[in-house]
Amino acid sequence: MELIVALGLIVFKVALLIAILLLLPLPLTWLERKIAGHMQQRMGPMRVGWHGLLQPVADGIKLLTKEDHIPADADRFLFKLAPILALAPPFVVFVAIPFGESVSVLGNEITLYVSDMNVALLFVFAVIGIEVYGVIFGGWAANSKYSLLGSLRTCAQMISYEIPMGFAVIGVVILAQSMSLLDIVRAQADVWNIVYQPVGFFVFFVAGLAEAQRIPFDLAEAEGDLGAGFHTEYSGIRFAFFMVSEYVIMVLVSVLTVILFFGGWNGVLIPLPPVLWFLLKVAFFVYLFMWFRFTFPRYRYDQLMAIGWKVLLPLSLANIIITGIAFS
Amino acid sequence: MESGAAMSRAFDRIGTWIGWAFFADLASGLTLTFGYMFSRPVTMEYPDKEKWLPYSRYRGHHFLKRDAEGEIKCVACELCARICPCDCIEVVPYEDEKGNRRPAKFEIDTARCLFCGLCEDACPADAIALGQQYEFSSFSSRDLVIGRDDLLGKPGKATTGGGVVAARLNTKKDVLVETNEPQGYNWWRNIRRT
Ligand code: SF4
Ligand code: SF4
Repeated sequence: MELIVALGLIVFKVALLIAILLLLPLPLTWLERKIAGHMQQRMGPMRVGWHGLLQPVADGIKLLTKEDHIPADADRFLFKLAPILALAPPFVVFVAIPFGESVSVLGNEITLYVSDMNVALLFVFAVIGIEVYGVIFGGWAANSKYSLLGSLRTCAQMISYEIPMGFAVIGVVILAQSMSLLDIVRAQADVWNIVYQPVGFFVFFVAGLAEAQRIPFDLAEAEGDLGAGFHTEYSGIRFAFFMVSEYVIMVLVSVLTVILFFGGWNGVLIPLPPVLWFLLKVAFFVYLFMWFRFTFPRYRYDQLMAIGWKVLLPLSLANIIITGIAFS
Repeated sequence: MESGAAMSRAFDRIGTWIGWAFFADLASGLTLTFGYMFSRPVTMEYPDKEKWLPYSRYRGHHFLKRDAEGEIKCVACELCARICPCDCIEVVPYEDEKGNRRPAKFEIDTARCLFCGLCEDACPADAIALGQQYEFSSFSSRDLVIGRDDLLGKPGKATTGGGVVAARLNTKKDVLVETNEPQGYNWWRNIRRT
């Protein structure tokens, strides 16, 4: 009996998580277009619903009813596989993400995470690495020059930025003496990691921008020079998969930044519910992502490589050494 | 003196480098966009809520004028048809009961017109002018050939103008942006120009 309840609870949590993550891109696209509009002194979407609030729904219906076109010489199997490969990993990663300590509902303690892995951090980086395959396959299978160039860039970018990103969190692991995200947050109860790990945060955040393929590192889909990059040939629902994946990764990088460097659900000064603190911090970083997007130009390809290998990698290594010496 | 200038230049360069190291340039870009985000949008909600009133110099749809007795001013001299670079005016004259030369047919093909206003300048009788109307799209280019009697009824030059007024899109009968306020707020004043 207890086993069934526990199992049911997990199924419920997973279903809830998937539903939230699938619906999250709707408000986020609206927000992104509004922010873009106002930064450019426009209004953004205004016509569907109050201040264009229903615009994402209209866009979703449009995407669902569009023709799902596959180019004539495409590799049909990989072409169909790629959007799923891009979509699934960001969802899987959220299994390991804690959103807070437990809350009590009807006298039962319910934890605000699906599972507390002792190697959660490793799990996150391993699974998020798979997402690249979606982009690479998509670009390769479409049999188009734009797509291929986009996915070539992605390959190089991911390899260059996953390394400093992985190194940057080692400092956090040294401080918390654990790879469990829950323990990492608990270790920041008094002082947030950003105080001890400013360099680590910097490297992680820049690499996270690259990982999420956002401006200034969105070379994979640089619409100025590559059409739409790796998803040039995608239309309809498969294109929507890539879009959802992109937004979920953006949220994921924000969530990771908050958990690793900004104290997770630990608040300061103002006593708010922990979950609210967590959401506020994540919202700030999501806003930061969008703010960056409409402020900065895109880096050139060689600059991207130079930043990855000549700046971020040495910085992250130095960060590990200094943290190791200072806290051993 | 010489070395002092060199020193200050060197300090300037060091200052620039320190700025770069702490992303002063990126930060200033971010502050700029943040400021813009809370500034007033410069766009109009054109068909739904607002509409731009043209200035009196605006060159919109043509109209033909009448004189004090209510007679058409045009003397059918065909000068406008001659000067028109698009060859879109067709005038056929006739003699009316009082013995005046008047146009029996006066057609402007607004599908071809480029709204240069040369017809207005050429007219010796001050009979034709380009008015304030700018919403006359159509599904057929045949509907865009406007005859004499229609031209007499078209709205004239704007008297106020240079503002945005409340408007409403009406698609019941035709696509029409309705407005009944004569003057709006000054749109140009509200643009943030930095
Ligand atoms: S505005 Fe120019 S193009 Fe149009 S009818 Fe007059 S002369 Fe011709
Ligand atoms: S509108 Fe003016 S220029 Fe044209 S035919 Fe009439 S009088 Fe002549």
